Amino acid sequence: MSAATVTTVPDAPTAGPLRALLRRPALAKLVLLAVAAAVLVPLLHAKWSGGVWPEALTVDLTKPLGSASDWIIDNRDSHPLFVYFLGHLSNAVVLSVRGVYLVLLALGWTGVTAGVTLVAWRVAGWRIAATALLSFLVSGVLGMWVPTMQTLALMIVAVIASVVVGALLGLAGGLSDRMFRLLRPVLDTMQVLPAFAYLLPVVLIFGIGVPAALLATVVYAAPPMARLTALGLRGADAGVLEAVTSLGATGRQRLLTARLPLARKELLLGLNQTIMMALSMAVIASMIGAAGLGDRVYQALASVDVGAALAAAVPIVLLAIVMDRTTAAAGEKAGAAGAAGPALLRGWRGWAAVAVVTAVVTAAGRLAGSTVWPTGATVAIARPVNDAKEWMVDHLYSGVPVVGGTADWAAHFTNWVLNPLRDGLTALPWYATLLVVAALAWLIGTWRTALTAVLAMAAIGVLGVWKPSMNTLSQVLAALVVTLVIGVGTGILAAGSKRLEAILRPVLDVMQTMPQFVYLIPVVALFAVGRAPAAAAAVVYALPAVIRITTQGLRQVDPAAMESATSLGATRWQILCQVQLPLARPALLLAVNQGVVLVLAVVIIGGLVGGGALGYDVVTGLATGDLALGLVAGVAIVCLGLMLDRVTQPTQRRTAKGA
Amino acid sequence: MAAATADASGIATADAGTDAGAQAPAVPAPATAPGEESTDRDVVFSARHLWKVFGPKADRIPDDTTLTGLSVAEVRERTGCTPAVRDVSFDVHKGEVFVVMGLSGSGKSTLVRCLTRLIEPTGGTLEMDGEDVLGMDRTTLRDLRRRRAAMVFQHFGLLPHRSVLDNVAYGLEIQGVGKTERRARAAEMVEKVGLAGLEKRRPGQLSGGQQQRVGLARALAVDPEILLFDEPFSALDPLIRRDMQEEVVRLHREEGRTMVFITHDLAEALTVGDRIALMRDGEIVQLGTPEEIVGSPADDYVRDFVRDVPREQVLTVRRAMRPAEGDEADRGPALAPTTLISDAIEAVARSGGAVRVAENGRCLGIVDHACLLNVVARMDTTRTEVAA
Repeated sequence: MSAATVTTVPDAPTAGPLRALLRRPALAKLVLLAVAAAVLVPLLHAKWSGGVWPEALTVDLTKPLGSASDWIIDNRDSHPLFVYFLGHLSNAVVLSVRGVYLVLLALGWTGVTAGVTLVAWRVAGWRIAATALLSFLVSGVLGMWVPTMQTLALMIVAVIASVVVGALLGLAGGLSDRMFRLLRPVLDTMQVLPAFAYLLPVVLIFGIGVPAALLATVVYAAPPMARLTALGLRGADAGVLEAVTSLGATGRQRLLTARLPLARKELLLGLNQTIMMALSMAVIASMIGAAGLGDRVYQALASVDVGAALAAAVPIVLLAIVMDRTTAAAGEKAGAAGAAGPALLRGWRGWAAVAVVTAVVTAAGRLAGSTVWPTGATVAIARPVNDAKEWMVDHLYSGVPVVGGTADWAAHFTNWVLNPLRDGLTALPWYATLLVVAALAWLIGTWRTALTAVLAMAAIGVLGVWKPSMNTLSQVLAALVVTLVIGVGTGILAAGSKRLEAILRPVLDVMQTMPQFVYLIPVVALFAVGRAPAAAAAVVYALPAVIRITTQGLRQVDPAAMESATSLGATRWQILCQVQLPLARPALLLAVNQGVVLVLAVVIIGGLVGGGALGYDVVTGLATGDLALGLVAGVAIVCLGLMLDRVTQPTQRRTAKGA
Repeated sequence: MAAATADASGIATADAGTDAGAQAPAVPAPATAPGEESTDRDVVFSARHLWKVFGPKADRIPDDTTLTGLSVAEVRERTGCTPAVRDVSFDVHKGEVFVVMGLSGSGKSTLVRCLTRLIEPTGGTLEMDGEDVLGMDRTTLRDLRRRRAAMVFQHFGLLPHRSVLDNVAYGLEIQGVGKTERRARAAEMVEKVGLAGLEKRRPGQLSGGQQQRVGLARALAVDPEILLFDEPFSALDPLIRRDMQEEVVRLHREEGRTMVFITHDLAEALTVGDRIALMRDGEIVQLGTPEEIVGSPADDYVRDFVRDVPREQVLTVRRAMRPAEGDEADRGPALAPTTLISDAIEAVARSGGAVRVAENGRCLGIVDHACLLNVVARMDTTRTEVAA
């Protein structure tokens, strides 16, 4: 909804200037806020002065949360809720993950590699099959076969559970208007929350371990499936559905023969997004007990062992690329008509061939006696990588002539940008912060989004984490500005040059598929630990989406408008400033929105590499078992995410991949 | 072709059971002769005081006499409801092509959807073969949609993920007909609409005209008692549109199936229609044969509508003739009263003088140069008495 349609301009005759003012809704809103502020601020200031949220207005949740956590720990083995429900759930999760893992082990490295490659070939063609083959061989060579299988086992169970849960919710939302109205805001909101926010609640209930990790993954990964299923079912061509009804189809026939097939593309896109988010979360969930590649990265980061972290990160990236390309190709194929490939290998015959070849290769592997990747065939890259890193520390961190060193940059960024920003935000009176949030959210969105944003911000104050939240916010803002400057700039250039776009596309594709966790490794190598590297990782993570959306937005500007501007003799610069950018405004707003959401996600994770603030609270809470601290920080993260999203909520929203 | 139709209907009725009586005489009946009001024929659809009002609490509008006389805009302003179909009554006779024509927003598409309750009418009564359609329960209504009335849509409404053959067979699949049988019947229909050889294609690979042929074949495949067309050719190029119109005329001539045809194109209405109901703001302004609509417009709106129609190609000599004078009734060439003016002009020119209009050997009147020119020049309005 655009700002203009929200404020209704009263018809009553008013004085000239006032009427002119009311005609401009943006100004009218600001004036209204200013009036409200003029009344409220002196009152608030008189009562609770100072920049930080007043003590008197906070509620200390540490005690009740601590006792709740204690109660859960004490009753986990005795209370009926746990014994009869959560216990079974937890056991089922452990058993199924274990089962899948054992199957993968039984297949051996030969069987798994052959199976994955053949499935990729069937679904997506030989190119991606080759990528899959190479990826699995590389993870074996890097000595990461077992952790890869652990991650894969968790992923398989998590994806199946997410797809089932998501599809059921989506079906309900797609068929019932009431369910859709109920689900939509929840799903939209879940989509913008950082992964860290999900860790603590599941740990509170299940304790650290595989069940908690799996549940967090499912909760994080199911929303896109649900969302896209619902949207796909609702977006079905009304004309086709009417035609189907006119032929006398029952509701069931309509769903099975028309609505679901028509939504096939969305369903596969949902599957793709769910898989990518599940992988992202399965890696992060190593912090709450998921074994596998993520755990290796986590352990390595804890000891700043970049080499070991990289060895585990490479298989993660490869896994991500293979899964993304395979499911994306399946989605594209669903859109196109007709089956490809030789007739002999179509349909069930093709799948049978896949199964047979996999079985044969598995048997061959077992006969050769190597179900686990042969230890002789691994290459340890940790040491050379660490050596290279040492060399970088010695030569690049500081004292490089003219440009300075990377550590110097990080220090400068911290001292000149992050610190002043953090101090400024902390010093800014809290009511002023609320007002700014309200004004921004109202100008860009509606009064509803403004209200949500202000309430979320106030909740942060009430929880008593105002200061760390301002710290996190300062990192988010700094990283966002850098992201937008680089991202929009690159986007404009890419929109103007086909060649640059062609070069960028594969890079962006890969960057968008990588899980958030992975971005921490190169920045730690380059900038050591601290707040600056966290912000840098956030920038790198958010850039692809911003560049993409900007480029697409500029490209989609009506060519007729551009043509008419050219025919009037406008220069390229004039066209850009006066035609392209104004017309691409919705896309630019969306870029800001996505940028904020993605930056926040990684800034929080940056708590692992010295980012401090809320992310660090979550990490400490998990590490020391102080769940109350972590939970409060988690809620604050949710509020911050809500606030930032609502403040930048554009008129339409789209999902960015992997967000 | 007629044999094939009889076959197909035989299978359908075996399944349907109850429809046998209505469907049995698959006479390749000719279109109703223009001007012949056939009140004695079987009525397929009979609508009386049909209303459709969109909006909150729409039910009260048809019964509220203070509102029923108002214009659409006034009703919308007072109640927030939009009447799309207002107090419409008509009969669709067996074997005729009943055209509902009007500009966009006149309620014609809503009206045709009311016939099978794709849109639920707000008020009035509607009967099909004497059965109360509005009182049908879901199963009966579904059966009506499955076997008795099939619809062809403006935007085709084909399933993009199915082949042409499976799209055509879809209606039969819904009915529960087995795969082999429905495919065989679908193949027959594909052939009938001239798409043989394209069975394996997807709708996306066909041109608009071909897609609409698929839509037509899908409707024909269930062998319905009545075909409903909702602006079927509006989305097509003019040349293809003419092809498709000829196709419909041909199908009607061959099978004599009852059709309700919605269009906003007057030329199309005159081409395919036996009778035309002209709608405006949800009401039927005039209902009659093409000749009546063009020759005797009910009001200025209709007159304006038909102004550009080449009259000599719609009106017949029945309208142009004058009483015979002297011995004119006994000599000269004779024309049937259903002869178009354009054909009569040729005949008169050839004979060089007056020509008789005769039916069953009886002379009804005389046409000469002056009579015909009067009609073409729109100077015949005073002579409606004679024409009637």
